[in-house]
Amino acid sequence: MALTMALGLLAVLAQRPGEGTDTTFAVRAGTRLELRNMNGDIVVRTWDRNSLRIQAEHSSRERLDIGYAGVVLKISATSRRGAPRDVDYILTVPAAMDLDLGSNHGDISIDGSTGRINIETIQGDVTVRGGRSVVTLHSVSGDMHVGAVRGRLEASSTNGEVIVDDVEGEVYAETTNGDVMLRGIRSDNVTAATVNGDLVYRGTIGDNGHYRLSTHNGDVTVTVSAGTNATVTVSTFSGDFESDFPVTLSGARQGKRFSFTIGTGKATLELESFQGSIRLVRP
Amino acid sequence: MSARTAEAGILNNSPGTIPQDAADVALAQSGDAQAFERLYRAQVNKIHSLARRMAGPAEADELTQDVFVRAWQKLHTFRGEAAFGTWLHRLGVNVILAYRGSQGARRRYLDEDADAANIGMARPAPVELTMDFETAIGRLPPGARQIFVLHDVEGYKHGEIAGMLGITAGTSKAQLHRARMSLRRHLER
Amino acid sequence: MTDQWTPRLSEYLDDELSAAERLQIEAHLGGCPACRETLAELRAVVARAESLEDGVPARDLWRGVAERIGAARPAVEPAAGGGWRRLRLTLSVPQLAAAALALMVMSAGSVWLTRPPRPIMQEASAPPVSGSAITVSPVAMGDGAYESAVRDLELVLAQGRGRLDTATVRVLEQNLRIIDEAITESRRAVAADPASPYLNAHLAQTMKRKLELLRQAARLTAART
Repeated sequence: MALTMALGLLAVLAQRPGEGTDTTFAVRAGTRLELRNMNGDIVVRTWDRNSLRIQAEHSSRERLDIGYAGVVLKISATSRRGAPRDVDYILTVPAAMDLDLGSNHGDISIDGSTGRINIETIQGDVTVRGGRSVVTLHSVSGDMHVGAVRGRLEASSTNGEVIVDDVEGEVYAETTNGDVMLRGIRSDNVTAATVNGDLVYRGTIGDNGHYRLSTHNGDVTVTVSAGTNATVTVSTFSGDFESDFPVTLSGARQGKRFSFTIGTGKATLELESFQGSIRLVRP
Repeated sequence: MSARTAEAGILNNSPGTIPQDAADVALAQSGDAQAFERLYRAQVNKIHSLARRMAGPAEADELTQDVFVRAWQKLHTFRGEAAFGTWLHRLGVNVILAYRGSQGARRRYLDEDADAANIGMARPAPVELTMDFETAIGRLPPGARQIFVLHDVEGYKHGEIAGMLGITAGTSKAQLHRARMSLRRHLER
Repeated sequence: MTDQWTPRLSEYLDDELSAAERLQIEAHLGGCPACRETLAELRAVVARAESLEDGVPARDLWRGVAERIGAARPAVEPAAGGGWRRLRLTLSVPQLAAAALALMVMSAGSVWLTRPPRPIMQEASAPPVSGSAITVSPVAMGDGAYESAVRDLELVLAQGRGRLDTATVRVLEQNLRIIDEAITESRRAVAADPASPYLNAHLAQTMKRKLELLRQAARLTAART
């Protein structure tokens, strides 16, 4: 199934043959940026102008294709002979611009965005500071470091850690081989999961919130501050449970799963570790 | 253990004092469950007795299994500085204590001033023995029982016990004395 | 009788008094037969404690340990597909054929494989999926369907892995191994305790992960076509 996109070339390229690209041009508010790269890093910075600067390092064989499809500005590289080799990008974009970035091999970083963000990479680290409304990050092999998100965050890697700081909104963070650490979270809906790794949650546990942390081989550590109201369900096969403060079991300990109440028990906190430790700690 | 720690273990021991289970430990650390079973067979009676005396016969079986499962999970942390049995025993104590700790509020230990039950303070009347010594240990209040088992039966020092239970050495000594005074009348003759 | 000496008899016995204190208490003991008798009794208690024998558990506990560390052989191998009948919770996973794949031709020859359109791509007002994205939901996949989906995907991966670079292949295989090991451990746990809701859900979730990873891997190989 193939879709052929009609690329209308509107921007004028200033490109010196053999030395890469450095071009700046005006963009309308509401434009969404879409960049697909094979190999090479992508760095995105922001400014408060209504223009976009593209600095790209590549050999003389590559040239950039830049064009609009509706409200989407698409950037990619083609090669005069064979597949494009490494292209490294530094983009400076309007802070509010929505960003959709993809690469096969290469790190992607964004700093200062107040737009929506979507990143997909196969091999590469993803570092994001900023993002509004919806931030979705996917890597197969790479670490994710995300911060200062205001909106829903979905971060998933397969082989890599997911470290999240300072998010206000729903959080879904997952990996297979790596830790997931969530700190400074203000949210009513958090899901964190890994197979081979630890989970750490330091954030609000709001009265209407649902929080689910699940790992197979690893520890789960949740910070519970005074005044928290949560019904906590702990599930483990051969792991153990520790708490910094006294807990009263509601109902019998049912072997692999037991529940207890903190305060008025309004939030739900589901903590699972197949064979690691589950811990509640004080701040 | 890694080659290096195995080597260190051998170098630190004069010939003839290399622990018999060193090979099984090394094998178990590399994932050999049959080697771990051999270690289990060698240690289970001691661990089970510890669990029974600390936590009671009803929970001893499950706790014993908990201890060995935990030991399997933490085997990679054993570096051969102490005998495997010592390491396992210490781990067992932690597992047993943690099990009780998670079921309720942190255990409160009677301090010198707050002795509510005059355990053993009165001169014991001569009585016909109705229970044997081990049963009598089981009848001690939980805190005093744990301290008595750890100190007099298992040989830990007050400093170690204080650290394990989160109490002061002074409380440990006071509880030990009470336990001993209470157990006087249950010595079989 | 309560006096100042009795509480310290245990410490004396354990040699935990200072030299001065020891002298004091020995002086007292010289003149106090009651304390001497108490001391003798305490000594007897300690001696008895030190001589306690280890008991033997009433039943063999190894099997329970073996199962929990994943070392036990299952008593019965589940028949192909039959084992999953015991799962209370089944998977909700679309078939590979039905998965929405979008190929975008960028320019001559190079192809980008993308996932189905994300919320960011559409201006639609569909509310974001709630945070419980990995809970297991009721049936869309039958007993044998999971296994054949896995087989199909493994086939695609086997045929297409030559198109992926070795680092990516290594990462995928390593993570498949991690998930497979978790599935094996979970299966054994469920076999020992089939009624546990947690264990069943955990196994189902881990199996779903494997499917997701295989699907992702297959997509990657297809992108290289």
